[in-house]
Amino acid sequence: MKSDSMTQSNMSEFLELTVDKFTFRVATDRYYHSEGVWAQAEGNRVRIGLSDFLQQRSGDVAFVEVKPEGTVLAFDDEVAVIETIKANISLALPVTGRVVEVNPAMEVAPEVINQDPYGEGWLAVIEASDWESDRARLLDSQAYFLVMKQEAEEEAKRL
Amino acid sequence: MSEGRRKVVIMPCSGIGKTYGTVSREAAYEVTEDLRPDDAQLVALSLLVLGDEEARAAVAGSPAVTIDGCKLACATKMVEESGGTVAQDFAVLNAYRRHRQLKPQGIAELNEAGQKLAHVLAEEIVAVVDSLSRDDGGENA
Repeated sequence: MKSDSMTQSNMSEFLELTVDKFTFRVATDRYYHSEGVWAQAEGNRVRIGLSDFLQQRSGDVAFVEVKPEGTVLAFDDEVAVIETIKANISLALPVTGRVVEVNPAMEVAPEVINQDPYGEGWLAVIEASDWESDRARLLDSQAYFLVMKQEAEEEAKRL
Repeated sequence: MSEGRRKVVIMPCSGIGKTYGTVSREAAYEVTEDLRPDDAQLVALSLLVLGDEEARAAVAGSPAVTIDGCKLACATKMVEESGGTVAQDFAVLNAYRRHRQLKPQGIAELNEAGQKLAHVLAEEIVAVVDSLSRDDGGENA
């Protein structure tokens, strides 16, 4: 990747960053853990998944293991492990609460994470115990975009 | 398939420095050198990209089995763009999903699990080659 060809543009639903041949999108309708897991509240339930940047950087997903329904976890606890062609990656939970739903696609077609990270590729739904407090610890899309941009630039320098 | 009949084209990934690309090539070598040398021929993706006449003729005249190392699917796309027919496309990642105990590691030299995965993949490819050979039915003999 070359940082000198970096461009960025704002779209209606996504912030977009292009570095060399890679384009990373940040959905503007959710919050983000700094490590790249997104959180989208639906009442007191919070749907989570991987950001486009995290899924692209991680590579093609081979297997996903999400903590089973009923598991109670705290903010930053490991909620899932994804095995990609590059590495095994532990995902930190961006909210405190109980796992109430795991995307069944993770069992049979985990590649959906790569295909549609902000849609069909969601990981799980968490029943939040205190979403407002957790949300204050997360990044909005603009803030995450800057974190992602910095990481992408640093990675570009290494290549 | 007897002499003079067309051989099934086997085209693996050409990605260098990638474990899954190495698995694809090891599987291709096993099919074309050990398991079905009379029925299958390896064609290098790079030659097709360069427009090599022999490679293009092979792809134009025979069904191809492609083995892709990643979702870019370069082997499959290149055969299709060259006007060839992809009889079956294999993805190493899908083979690994079917055989989770065989996690491939290493690049220049695969670990034991990677070698076994390549072998399993080669056996799956052979089944396709055999099917295509039967379908060919001697029409080009």
